[in-house]
Amino acid sequence: MNDLFKGFAKAHAEQNGYLLAATLSPIATSSNPQRLRLIWKSSHSSSVKGDIKHFIKSNTSHHRSLDHEEVKGWVEVYAAYWNAIGDFVAVEDGKSTWTKVYESWKDLTSALIRGYNSFGFEAWTIPCLYVVGKYLRLFAIRSDTERSRNAGDNSGGAALIQDDFDPETEKQSQLRDCEQHLKRIFTLCLNDRAPLEESRKWGIYFIINLLFKTYFKLNSASLSRTILKTLSAYKGDMPALSAFPKSQRVTFKFYEGVLFFLEENYIEAEKYLVEAWELCHKDANANLERILTYLIPCRLLTSHVLPTKALLEPFPRLQKLFLPLAQCIRKGDLRAFDVALQEGEDEFVKRRIYLTLERGRDIALRNLLRKVFIAGGFDELKEGETTPVRRTRVPVAEFRAAICMGSGGELVDTDEVECLLANMIYKDLMKGYIARERGIVVLSKKGAFPGTGV
Amino acid sequence: MASTTEPKVAEPEQSTPNEQQKPEQKHLALGEDDEFEDFPVDDWPADQTEAAQRNGETKHLWEESWDDDDTSDDFSNQLKEELKKVEAAKRR
Repeated sequence: MNDLFKGFAKAHAEQNGYLLAATLSPIATSSNPQRLRLIWKSSHSSSVKGDIKHFIKSNTSHHRSLDHEEVKGWVEVYAAYWNAIGDFVAVEDGKSTWTKVYESWKDLTSALIRGYNSFGFEAWTIPCLYVVGKYLRLFAIRSDTERSRNAGDNSGGAALIQDDFDPETEKQSQLRDCEQHLKRIFTLCLNDRAPLEESRKWGIYFIINLLFKTYFKLNSASLSRTILKTLSAYKGDMPALSAFPKSQRVTFKFYEGVLFFLEENYIEAEKYLVEAWELCHKDANANLERILTYLIPCRLLTSHVLPTKALLEPFPRLQKLFLPLAQCIRKGDLRAFDVALQEGEDEFVKRRIYLTLERGRDIALRNLLRKVFIAGGFDELKEGETTPVRRTRVPVAEFRAAICMGSGGELVDTDEVECLLANMIYKDLMKGYIARERGIVVLSKKGAFPGTGV
Repeated sequence: MASTTEPKVAEPEQSTPNEQQKPEQKHLALGEDDEFEDFPVDDWPADQTEAAQRNGETKHLWEESWDDDDTSDDFSNQLKEELKKVEAAKRR
């Protein structure tokens, strides 16, 4: 335990928040794989607070001294930490449960929050909130997994008796509980009135990101909006996002982008996802992949573009996910598009991109109709014309033939074809009008298929 | 993203006590496989970003969804045949 407080003292002497936070990590280090066990074994529940006080005092005596209140607060924090480590070690030995770890880690969280509210912890120490908040969420998830597994083992009796028992809600009850505590940290950071340079406001984006992850996991992504609204109410007092570390900015932009994506606001979503992508560390492939998972469907709808092989080259999983669809869209092969969409359905639904990709069928259809237009060639030059003009009067029957063929030889009747064409015109994917009585489509001479060069 | 890490963490209780001695990091990754990962570092210089990597040149990463050059594939040929049939039917 002495090592732990050497770190504590060094962190205080340097006012290094990350160093301090490392002392509260529930992870052994590679240089000291037995770290947790050693900490646990070095004290006893009857004497732990006294021990900690002693170690804090003896290690910090020749550095900047902590005031009495602060010491009191840290003693509470490390006593709670020691206790949680005990449960953690016990789980590894199969002698405890993740639920217990979660509970004791929650006590640690409360002790830390009290430190800021009642014992004058300084703002430079906020990385402690990051570490504690991060693992609180992970332990909650583990506890939920463990509980639902146990519930599955003795299924039958108990669950049937309770009518209002909702297994889905129950499954994530710890994570829901965890959200409450993360919100406390959020408020703790948000409401700090100290001048900016020594404000806990600098912790806000880290905590918001934790909350975002929690809401997404709880399938309540829309609750993230509430957080964003609260944040924007404080905007004037908040440091600019650009002043925060890139890891926090990228994560924040990603979740904000996905949130817009789920709200089907693809224009805004694209903005945030592009920012996240550009700012992301070049070697963080897993995260780049996650960003592209949403950016690709997004750009398909906003700008009707597809990813190149160069873009997908480092991401085999994305190739598998998107290349079949992309190929069908390019060709205008509607039938193959439907098949590819169906084949990827599980994956697409899981990643919440199915509905967006489904709308890509319009682009496939646009490309098919465009092919008919191109195949129609050019009208003969009229007097005074120097550049050839494409044939802009296209029989509905030609479009119909193409649509029947694209649908895999299925017979699509003329009414339905006209309906599809009207839809294309309505969505601005095609410019012109249908002259029904003559059975032709009159397309615009200036850009029949906007943005595609013809 | 799921396939590589999932098998390892899905059923941790099946592992033997010896295996549990492995770094806890992997242990704790459970439930994280589908969400944005923590970066190993907090911050990085501008030249380490993806944008810098691409030199601000992103044109080659996206392409138009239609393909004018490639009109020789089966699908396009078949389409041409279909359109010829329509043309022929009209003349009759």
